[in-house]
Amino acid sequence: MPDFEKLDKAIHEKGRLAIMTLLASRVRWSFQDLKAELKMSDGNLVSHLRTLHKLGFVAVTKAVLDRPQTTYALTSKGRSAFTKYLEVLEQIVRAGKA
Amino acid sequence: MNERSRAEEDLRVIRNLMERATIYRAISAPTALVGGLLAVGTSVAFWLVDRSRAADAMTPDGRWFATIWLVVLALVLAVNALFVRQEARRGGRPFLSSGAKLALRAIAPCLLVPAAATIWFFRNPDPIDAEVLVSIWIAFYGLALLATALFAPRSLAVLGWAFLLSSLLVVFWPKPLGFDPRGMFPDFAMGATFGLYHLLYAACIWSRRRPKERGNSATE
Repeated sequence: MPDFEKLDKAIHEKGRLAIMTLLASRVRWSFQDLKAELKMSDGNLVSHLRTLHKLGFVAVTKAVLDRPQTTYALTSKGRSAFTKYLEVLEQIVRAGKA
Repeated sequence: MNERSRAEEDLRVIRNLMERATIYRAISAPTALVGGLLAVGTSVAFWLVDRSRAADAMTPDGRWFATIWLVVLALVLAVNALFVRQEARRGGRPFLSSGAKLALRAIAPCLLVPAAATIWFFRNPDPIDAEVLVSIWIAFYGLALLATALFAPRSLAVLGWAFLLSSLLVVFWPKPLGFDPRGMFPDFAMGATFGLYHLLYAACIWSRRRPKERGNSATE
């Protein structure tokens, strides 16, 4: 029987789940776009992104266009962890219906 | 809350976030405003020119009418490209974002028929029937907008339906109701649809816009 214990704890935190979801929806997100979409403070967002980066789920790219800009993308490890996370959630829902 | 309810809630949050992130507005409010103003201005200009003609003067060939509207289209496309470029630079995104490419792929097939019809009308030696040409432009523009409905905000789909239904109105408008000896009906149809509809659409977007979207409109 699947349960919440099987969910990846790093992703299951509300803020990080939202970040992973957005990163899964587009190839690349700028810090400002993530902040605007999630309505998080700079510090909070940086902290979550750092955690996900340390786990190897998120790749960080720094570039200078008109001004310095940091963009974030899911790594293949992050995408696979997110897919697995969704599968466990779906299993829990299915098991609850049975 | 049991585990199943919690899982369902999590999945609902994920789905909502993903939907929000993948929505693409193919026509931004500034583009709609500029396009709407140009269309209304062109329509009024045609009407004024028509009023200055003698009452028994012949209706000019539709080529003149079509050429002017194609120039307006070119102007709106150029302005839109400027807006998109500006937004892309501000957000550090490429000129053609993934959303823009998706929208172009959806829209392009719907523009083939009006493009071909316009070329056919110009190459045909007979006078252009502006009424038919206008109904084709309005109908296929509506279809192009509706082709983006899967990833577009609802307002854009409503705009698409408004264009599509208006094109039917242009075709089936009972002639006795629209006595039009000077052939101004196509001009009014263009002004009402490409002009007023776009102005209404721009007004709707701006009135509903949340602060976070202000710097995020033309591209993604």
